[in-house]
Amino acid sequence: MRRVSIIQGEHRVIAEPEVMLTTVLGSCVAVCLHDSVARLGGMNHFLLGEPTAGHDVRPEEMQRYGVHAMELLINAMMQAGAKRERLCGHLYGGANIVAGLGAIGSSNAEFARRFMQTEGLEVRHCDLGGTSARKVEFLPFDGKVRSIKVTDAPLEQRPQRIATNDVELF
Amino acid sequence: MPAASAIKVMVVDDQTSMRAMIRRTLQDLGFRDVRDKASATEALDDVRANRVHLIISDYNMPEMDGLQFLQEVRKDSVIGKTVFIMLTASAEKEIVQKAAEMGVNNYVVKPFTPAALKEKIERVFGALS
Repeated sequence: MRRVSIIQGEHRVIAEPEVMLTTVLGSCVAVCLHDSVARLGGMNHFLLGEPTAGHDVRPEEMQRYGVHAMELLINAMMQAGAKRERLCGHLYGGANIVAGLGAIGSSNAEFARRFMQTEGLEVRHCDLGGTSARKVEFLPFDGKVRSIKVTDAPLEQRPQRIATNDVELF
Repeated sequence: MPAASAIKVMVVDDQTSMRAMIRRTLQDLGFRDVRDKASATEALDDVRANRVHLIISDYNMPEMDGLQFLQEVRKDSVIGKTVFIMLTASAEKEIVQKAAEMGVNNYVVKPFTPAALKEKIERVFGALS
């Protein structure tokens, strides 16, 4: 079994057996999407739901928001052969681990639920909230997922640098 | 200096959440007349019936994608000159070049900040008031 780790701000779509997508979550949320007909699945891992009004966000920070992470994941799933109407999702994370950081986890969990409902995507399983970190393991070919609560999990890995990818034409 | 409130906008994206976010961003920038549609086909019918000054459209959409939509707009004798800004989820150079050849006015790579969207709109309309 080949293991592919996803860190904050990333997404990955896999259409082959014997591959496991995995991530470790605290207040972040990971959404696993699966198309049982096309036999492929994908996972993302985002830090925050969506920018709030008046929040001055730097361009490189935008990729960490769920509203974009979800679009990238759905686009990648469809490019790989999935059909939007067949997608079903599993939602994980959104824990409130560190006291004093407010309810970032709850807000992320709420975003994930709301996004799936707004977009009309079926939710198969939710394991959101609480105060424990989670390790998520997803078999994208089969659509099987499990999340394990961990008390001594390493901190969520953050990306070293998010590349911007602009083309100058205008 | 054009007033943002006087510019009529059509936002086209297959994702409801993204349309809502773009609408909010435009409203924060002072735009008041913003309509949105989930598909290029619906948007074409709508803007033909009730013209807009600016179309902001996603590229990656099922059925009619952003390039096909742009082509339909440009060949229409009535709405052919409408300002068209394309949103792409990644800066795929070939798509951007093709869009430029087809007469797109500008493009924005998602994820984008409100400032980036404003800058691209201002490059076409001039500084907004």
